[in-house]
Formats: sequence, C-alpha cells, structure tokens
Amino acid sequence: MASATTQQHLLLSPAELAYLHSSLSLTPPVRPDGRTATQFRPLTAETGVLPAANGSARVCFADGTEAVVGVKAEVEKRKVLPLSKGHEQIRESDGDDAVAGENDWVEITVEIPGYRDDDSSTVFLATMLSEALLADGEFTKKLWINRRFHWKLYIDQIILISPPLSYPLPLLSLTTHLALLSTRLPRLKSEADEDPMFDDDWDASRFIYPRQSSDTTSATVGSRPPVTLLVMAVGDNIIFDPSKEELAVADSALAVSVGERNAPVDEASETMDVDGEPQAGRQLRLLSVRTIDPPSRLTAPGVPNAVNAAAWGQGGPVAKDPGARAAEIDDVEGVWKAPRGGTKVAILGAMVQKVLEKGGIAEEVLDGLDAVDLG
Amino acid sequence: MADRRRINGPVGQTNPPIYDTPQEKRIAKRPGDNAVRKIFLKTGVTPSASGSAYLEIDDPFAIRPSGTNLKLTCTVHGPRALPRSAPFSPHIILSTHVKYAPFATRQRRGYLRDSSERDLGVHLETALRGAIIADRWPKSGVDIIVTIIEGDQNRDSPDYDRDEGWDMMNVLSGCITVASAAIADAGIDCVDTVAGGVAALAAQDEKSQPSIVLDPDVASYHKIFAACCVAYLPTRDEVTNVWFKGQLPGADAMLYNKMVERSLVACRNANRVLIQSLSETINPGQNVS
Repeated sequence: MASATTQQHLLLSPAELAYLHSSLSLTPPVRPDGRTATQFRPLTAETGVLPAANGSARVCFADGTEAVVGVKAEVEKRKVLPLSKGHEQIRESDGDDAVAGENDWVEITVEIPGYRDDDSSTVFLATMLSEALLADGEFTKKLWINRRFHWKLYIDQIILISPPLSYPLPLLSLTTHLALLSTRLPRLKSEADEDPMFDDDWDASRFIYPRQSSDTTSATVGSRPPVTLLVMAVGDNIIFDPSKEELAVADSALAVSVGERNAPVDEASETMDVDGEPQAGRQLRLLSVRTIDPPSRLTAPGVPNAVNAAAWGQGGPVAKDPGARAAEIDDVEGVWKAPRGGTKVAILGAMVQKVLEKGGIAEEVLDGLDAVDLG
Repeated sequence: MADRRRINGPVGQTNPPIYDTPQEKRIAKRPGDNAVRKIFLKTGVTPSASGSAYLEIDDPFAIRPSGTNLKLTCTVHGPRALPRSAPFSPHIILSTHVKYAPFATRQRRGYLRDSSERDLGVHLETALRGAIIADRWPKSGVDIIVTIIEGDQNRDSPDYDRDEGWDMMNVLSGCITVASAAIADAGIDCVDTVAGGVAALAAQDEKSQPSIVLDPDVASYHKIFAACCVAYLPTRDEVTNVWFKGQLPGADAMLYNKMVERSLVACRNANRVLIQSLSETINPGQNVS
C-alpha cells in the first residue's frame, strides 16, 4: 500500500508530532533542520556513471539516501496490427510529419530495497514518473526511427539505502531528469524505412534532449524532461521538499510534475508581446498533479488530560463521557490528532501555483540542475 | 509473471473483424459539455459482504454502436480484527483492490493485477482514507474490493492500439463513488460521503478549440488534452484526492484551477445520486427526492 513507503517506521511520540506540527504552522514555519519553507536539502549529483547504459545519473542526499538511474535503449520492431495497413496509407499521403510515438515505448521500473517489485507503492511511483514523462506526447516522438522500427527505452531506478530515509519521489525524479538529459542514442546511418543501421562512433551520437548551445534554430531547443516536486501543506503554510519527520505531520501532500518546453518561434513571439519581457525565465508547463496519502493519517493520537485517567486522579465518571466526546471532535492545543477529512481547494491550488509561478521553486530546481555537468 | 494457477485464455492475440478501409473515428453526439451522464447506484447487492454497491453510468444513446458504459461493483469486508501476527495499529487498516474483469476492456486483462490496476487502487485508498474516521477502529482492518465489469472504453474506435488511458479517470471517479456507497452500507463511520468527478480539456473535432467538459466519455471527443479526477467531500468542502494529467496550453495554473472547479460540479452531481440511493436504502418505498 502507499502508506508503506510513506510511513517508514516512524518513531515519533504524539507529543513530538504535536510540537512539530505547531512549529511548522508558525509564520514563517520553523523546520527542524532550519531550512526556509522553499529551501531544498543539499544534494550531490553526477551523470554518466554507468558505462554500459545509454544515459545514467546518480544523486545523493546529504542524509545518505542515494539513487542510481540507468537508461537503456533497444531497437524494437513496431507492432503491426491488422488495422495499421490502412494507417500506413494514410500516413504516406500525409507525408513525413506523421511521426508519432506510443506510450509503451517507455518502460519505467523502480526498485526500493525491502519492497516487493509488485508492491503498490513502487508501482505508484513508477506510474507517476512515467505519466509526467509521457504527458505531452513529445517525448515518445524522439524515439521514432522510421515507420517500421522505434527505440524502446528502459528507465531503471534503484534506491541504494534500505529503507529510504524520506519519501523517495523527489530523489527519483531528479535522478531520472539528469539521466535522461545525459542519454545519447547512436546516429542513424540508414535512410527512410530500411532496417536501421547506426554509426558505431559513440562521439557522433545524439542526445535525446539536445543542448541549447549546440543548435539554436531548432524548434525543440530547450525542451527538458519533467521534474516532479513534493509539496506539503501544514495549516496555511506550504513547504517544499519535506523530510520524513515533516511529512509525518503534513495535512496534505502533493506531487506536482512540471515540464519545460520552449514553444515554436511564432508562439513564443506572441507570448513575448503579452508579457513584454522576452526570454525572461522559463516556460513551465504543468504536466501532472497527484495527491500523496500523507503518513500523518496513520500516526497514533495523543490523549488530552481531560480524558486521561492517569491525569485526572479523582475525576468522577460524570466528567468522563463529555470529555471523551470532546476529545473525539475538538482539537486540544498541544495534543496530536491525526488529520481527518481532506484539504481545501484553495490550499491545493496555492500549492500548484507556488510551484509554477515565475521565479518560483520549479525554476530554481531547473536552474540548479542546469549546473550539473553532463559529461 | 505468468499466472500458472489458473487456466488462461489463448496466449496469442485474437483479431476482431475489421473494415477493409478503416473509417475515421466517429464522434458520438452528446447532449452538452456540461451534462453529466446518468448514474445508477444501488447498495446492498452482495448479501455475503458487510457492505456492497453497484454503479452503472449509462450511455445516453444506447442504440449507437460506439457506446461507452461503466459498470462497477464494490464489496466491503470488515471491519474485522487484524490477525494476531499483525503489528498494533491505532487506526483501521484500509486495503483497496481495484480489478478489471478480464472482459472489461478491449484488451483482455489477466487475473493478476497489472500496474494500472494497482495504481488505481492507491488512488482509491488515498481518496477513502480522508473520508473514513479511522481512529474509531483500532487493531482492525477492512478490505474494499472494486471490480470493473465494463470499463469506459470506446468500442468503436479504429485506432484501438493507441490507448491513452483517459478512461482510467472516469473509472477512478466511479470507483470512488461506488466504494463510498459500499462503505456507508457497511456502516463504517465517515466524516462525509466522498464522491468522484472528472473534468477534461477536450476538443470536439479537429478544428474546434478545446474547452472544459464534464464527465468526458472518450467516444464523444476527437482528442482529450488533459483530464482531472477529484474526490470531494461536499459538506466539508474538502478534497481528499486529486489526479491531474495532460498538457495545458497556458503556463499558469489558472486553467488547472478551473478544471478542478468544474470537476467539483461533477462530484456534487455524483454525490446527489449517492445520497439519494443511501436514503432509499434506509426508507425503502419512500420516494426521497
């Protein structure tokens, strides 16, 4: 279940949870490690670590959690369905612009030590990451070779610490982002619909996400793989990159996937007119949003003094019943209670807005990832 | 992973009869973009379970060949004591299973749950966990099993190899509503009845501008750009689960917020059906409007 990865054998007492919750709901929030609400944990990243893969990356958090992602590409024959004969004819008449990919050309697997590979939580993580990657339909187009063949991309993600020390989603997403940026496919030598033949010179290979500097005329320049950010809310405070302890008191948690795609030239000039500030910042796009089941729902509640037999001493049984009912319904200051119900729509909207806004978190993360040397 | 315990169907694919010249995708008419299809909901259909419900979303034009129907049944077993070996839990342990029947979609589903079914199960669990008052049942568990008898797929579409998974949104919203009814039928305390709803950004045909529609059935639209499924608690005005995916034309969150808002309308519609069906169970014979 989803709670398995989020819960992670958390050992905090109700009193500690209540303290953490109240310090995170202050303005500005006081986080246990002294970060600001939008600050990320420090991390080290490198790419090209696996010589046998088409692209790879490794990211380490300071707490020792580490993820390795390898991207392998294989040439695969396209499935020929009885119906597609007609499709071919349509495509030929259309010309060559019928380059289209299919979602099963990409396969993402997540391996977390201590969890079964068919565990729902790992499946949830893998679908979330592939959903973001496939959302705009642009990525699979890059895997098109010709009408008969395509690349099949296997993205395998392994977490190296067991069990992971925080919810592994941001770690996996950043590592996948870097691995895809460093992924190279060999240059195609054959033409049109021949059986594909590739240049065996690895230096001639092409990146699937072309560099900005190499070629500024192409329309897809600046396109980047998506990043998925974990955002949580405590009260009205919106907190990014929560650690395990912070997630344990979250009122709600969201995974927001953001992609960056520079639009074709004409569309870009249109937006320039509207904004009045050309080339300022990045063009971010919202690709997917998912609610994460916050592990706070599974924490044990504290017992207020009003109903605690050890605390009343001589309290009569008359006071017991209304006290118990109040403890069920009311919030007592300083006594932890697992959150009940959902989240207000306004808070969910604010969380997404905070990721997307100009100069916001997503831009900061993408800027940080730009600084990684892609070998 | 092969399923060795059961006798399975043929391994190879079977081909449906096809036309010599493939026809273009026929776009079915629908009453309006803001119309939600009719929902049939009945609780207490499985006597052996502690709570159960059946939900059907019917095609408004039953005669057309390209109809899309959604038929779901949900059983709730529990709350019951956890096994002795299980560690202590201060809350009820929720386990959700969503399973397509092998014949529910165009592509046959195996008996083992595949990744999309597990994914739906996690979404459903998130949606329900917010609604259930979990701390009233320490040391106990409840199993919620949703079977999809007919998935909301376009049977007539010629490009049946390209399944973009938009129908999963409709299936999830149905799952949430039916599971909520079954939980109420089982008598498990909830803060409110949770109901699911879907809004999508879709284009009617190739040239038309995409617009936000409620309860999108795949057969009625040329292309769906983005979709959003929300689980909503109407009396508390709170959302327990959001699932959005797709591409939006703008860079800001305005269109996204609009889609969430529209899907709340669909949620309220589903919730009305849910409330009516539950009150009919309490007062049979009385027509509650």
